[in-house]
This record gives sequence, C-alpha cells and structure tokens, in this order.
Amino acid sequence: MSNQGSYKLWLGATALLALLALGAWIYQLTNGLGVTGMNNVVSWGLYITLFMFFVGLSAGGLIVSSSATIFNIPAFKAIAKPGVILSTVSIILAALFIVVDVGSPARLYNLLLHPQLNSPLMWDVIVILIYLVINIIYLYLMTRPVPDEKKLKIVSRFAFPTAILVHSVTAWIFGLIIAREGWHSALMAPIFVASALTSGLALLIISLLLLNRYTQFKTDQKLITSCAGLLATCIAIDAFFVFSEVLTLFYPGRESTLHILSIMFSGSTAFLFWLEIILGIVLPFTILVFYRNREKTGLVAVSAILVIIGVFCKRAWLLLTSFLQLNISGSPGVMFGRHLPYVDSAVFPNSWVAQGSYLPTIVEIVIAVGLVSFGMFLFTVFARKMLLKQLITSKVAGQDQSLASEH
Amino acid sequence: MARLGMVIDLKRCIGCNTCVIACKMQNNVPMGMSWTRVISEGSEELDGAVGEYPFLNKTYIPIACQHCENAPCVKACPVGATSKDDKGRVVVDYDRCIGCRYCMAACPYNARMFNWQKATRVPDFNYGDQAVPLRKVGIVEKCTMCKERTDLGLEPLCVEVCPAKARTFGDLDDPNSEVSRLIREQNAEQLLKEKGTRPQIYYIR
Repeated sequence: MSNQGSYKLWLGATALLALLALGAWIYQLTNGLGVTGMNNVVSWGLYITLFMFFVGLSAGGLIVSSSATIFNIPAFKAIAKPGVILSTVSIILAALFIVVDVGSPARLYNLLLHPQLNSPLMWDVIVILIYLVINIIYLYLMTRPVPDEKKLKIVSRFAFPTAILVHSVTAWIFGLIIAREGWHSALMAPIFVASALTSGLALLIISLLLLNRYTQFKTDQKLITSCAGLLATCIAIDAFFVFSEVLTLFYPGRESTLHILSIMFSGSTAFLFWLEIILGIVLPFTILVFYRNREKTGLVAVSAILVIIGVFCKRAWLLLTSFLQLNISGSPGVMFGRHLPYVDSAVFPNSWVAQGSYLPTIVEIVIAVGLVSFGMFLFTVFARKMLLKQLITSKVAGQDQSLASEH
Repeated sequence: MARLGMVIDLKRCIGCNTCVIACKMQNNVPMGMSWTRVISEGSEELDGAVGEYPFLNKTYIPIACQHCENAPCVKACPVGATSKDDKGRVVVDYDRCIGCRYCMAACPYNARMFNWQKATRVPDFNYGDQAVPLRKVGIVEKCTMCKERTDLGLEPLCVEVCPAKARTFGDLDDPNSEVSRLIREQNAEQLLKEKGTRPQIYYIR
C-alpha cells in the first residue's frame, strides 16, 4: 500500500531533522552556549520555553487519559492510549530540552551525586523522572494483549496527581523566584496547569484527527466533539487565570510591575502576548463555544492548532518579559557576556546592556525544530507499534469489539 | 566563623571604575564579562544625572555579588554548586556547576555571569592572581569577595584600590569592626532591601 511509502518518507524526514539537531547540538557543545541568543541578562530562552511547553503538553495528555479511569468516563478510554503515548513522548522531549540548555551537560550526573533539595529545579528533576516511569508503566499495562483493568486503575490514580504535580513544580521554578517580578506569583502553578490542560488536549485532538486521517485507528466524531467542548472550557479557565494575574499586576500601580505590563502590552514581548490572547484564547473559544462548530472536524482542527500556537506564545512571554528589565536601573547596566572581536578594538559598544534583549539564533532554531521532529518520529513509531499493530491483531482474533465498540 | 561584608560610601564614589578594572585583573575575568560594575543610578547614559536642571543628582552605585545572607541563588542551585562558605561568602564550586543558569534567573542583582564562550583575554594570557582558579566554558561565575586574598587576611582588591576610599571591608558579626560601626552610625542601606535577601554589602547614601 502507498501508505507504507509515505510512512517511511515521514519517518525519514523527521529523523533527518533530528540528526540536523544533533549536529547543531555538537556545534553548540564545542563552541559554548554563546552560539545561542541567550546572554547575561536574558539567560534563558527558546530551550526553556519549549521545556515548559512540552511539560505542559505531556501533563495535559496524561490528565485526559487517566481521568478516563479515575472519573470513570468510559468514552475517554478509547483515547487513553494515544494520550499516554503523547504524554510519554512529550516528557522525553521536555527532558531533552533541559539537556540542550545546560552549559555543561557532561556534568549532569551531579544532579544524582549532589541533589540539593532546596531547589525547585531539583524537585522538577525528581518529579519528571517519577512521571516518566509512571508513563512507561501505564503504557506497558495498556498495551498488554488483555489489559488488567485493576492495575490500570491503580496506576491511573498515581498518574493523575503526578501529572498535576509535574506541571506545578515546573511553575514553581518560576513562581518561587523573588528576583523576577512577573514570575513571583502564587497563581503561577494554576496558570501552568490550566495551559497544560489546554495545550495537551489540543495536541491530543490534533493527533486523533491525524490518526483518523492517515491510519486505521479511528476515533468517533462524537468523542472529538466532546473533547472540543472540554477544550473550550479549559481555554476559558486559562483566560480567567491570565486575566486575574494581569489585573493583580496592574491594579496596585507599582512602577516595577507597570513596567513589566508595558513590555507585555506594547513592548518587545507584546506580539507574543497579543498572539496568545487572540490566537490562543479569543478565536478558538469563539469557535468552540458553539456546539455546531465542535461537530465540524475542520474547525476543531483549526482551533486546536491555534490553541497550541497560543500556549507556546504564552510560555514565551511569561519567561522572557521578566528578564528584560534589570531590577536596578542605570547605565551602563550589565556586561552582555560575549566578546565581539571584530568591533573597533578600542571601544566595545555592545559589551554593556542596560536592558535585556533576546532573539533565538539559527542554532537554537535547528535544535528546537529537530527535537520536535524527533518527538513526531517517536510518536509515529509508538503509535504504529502500540495502536495499529494491536488493532490488526485484535481484528484478526475477532475481538474487534473492544476497540470498535466506540464507533 | 565570620560574616564578611562591605560598606560602600556612595558619597565618596566618584565613578572612576578602578574597582571594576582591578577586579577584572585580580580574578582573571575575560572580555565581555565583569564581576563588578559601576552604574549611574537611574540614568540612561553613562555618567548621566537624574532630575530637572538645576536640581540634578548623580549617584554612582558599584554593584557586584551582594553575598546575601538569604541568598536566592544558593537555594536555587540544584546541585549545591553555589553555597555560603564558613566566612559568610557566597561562593561557586566551578567543578560542580552544571551550567543550568537557574541562579542567574534567581539573582535580583544580575550579579552572575555565565561563560558563554571560550574566554578571550586582552592581553592574550591569564593575568591576575595565580591562586584564582580558571573557569571553563558553560559554567557560572561571580564576585567571590576576593576569596583568595581575604583568606590570607588581605582586603578584596576593589577595596584596596579605591582612590576615594569609598569601600570598607570587614566582619559584620564583629560589633567593633569598622563595617559594623559605619552601618550603625551612618544608617547604611542594602540594595533591593524589599526582596528580603539580606545582602552583606551595605551602601551609605
């Protein structure tokens, strides 16, 4: 079948992009993180944005699939498996984005040798490892020829809170930091969980639609419609949190927070903020709030894609805005961190910066695109192994009831 | 046990940047990086003043690591590479740092520098104190309050070279020390006091 050809082409293309990223990473390792756009003022960039983004996608996927068993929503059981595959792949990607962000990855073993339990980053390492293990166990149990419902129930009871926790801890990496005005908020964890649900659900919908289109794994239109309804609810919760946060920053009228808001509303991260509000919240919500639109595959797909773009933008403005402004203002500011040898040797005009700036470089983009492609590669392989193979075997065995009963 | 600290008299600071250069020399700090800096407070230009003519005001503030008692960077470091040492200094273990830069995000004073690239030095050799360890690419570094000098009982180089004698170094735990006296008598203040980091660097305005 021609499917086989396009399947191989797809795998080849994603693998190629992943290899390019590997090359770019080796280049980054040999030359230092100076090849990225990060600097002493904006010391985190695209990698950490994508780290947060993928932790969110992962948590969202698992929350939906484990709630099938926890809250006993039988309809969701049909999509539990693709949900857990997505979640596993996403958390692997999140971990990889930390590896490429770290300046001395060869020393990562220090995380095991000298864990410092005061650090939210350490908490995250622990929670992500536990979470990955739970994902793998969950996946293993689900893909048994005859899944043990009892065991699945037990694991899902651990999976659900861990999924909430993994994203809360990621939020606390930022929320507990007093140095950055825009991060230091108790609402950070709820905001992160809300956008995790939103983006995770959106990604799940997109994956289901793609599986529907290109494979034999079919999901009922009704189920997609109810997922879309859930998505609309999540978008509303997300919007509510963002509004509360912005209002709390705005109302007291303190100079430092007003400055952050002005960067967000009309400054250098404004395009990210408004893209999130319009693409991530207003448009998809207006589409999905109407039941009739939720029945149209095309509109649901468009909304899901918009939501994912929106949540990505949200991660980016959340991270970057608070870096841009120095807490103690004054010229010349801070040393940028790079020596620029080809500038006039007597004067180094770009060595000092009084305000942060950041733009990802080609190296960062190649690594980011490559890692995301690697994720798509993994998802494709896993989906084929775990969704389709079993589908075929179960059909051969004449047990297509279990999977087809949802149709 | 001691709690080493510093008092900087802003009325004395003339913004000459001698401390900046001395620090760079002593600690072998490469191009594009500086552990200490002198900013013109609130101004957008170097040596700029703030206010409306003729009521102008110009304050230079030398800023480096504040060696906070409640140091956010120490809490943030996932591997304990940043810690408070027995003399109350915040120090970085260059052999343990994994380069995650969480401490940089956690520092309210932007006092930390990352080795983004292979160090370039002008002149092209390792200068400064031989006892100061070299730092490799991919780790964080910052002011150590001249650990290598203060361990020998010397003052940090920025204190020693200041031509205006704006900087005073000493033990904050000793009520009879010059720093303790200045803080007491001159109402010395800490930077970004509201963040609750309890810096061990004090400023007299």
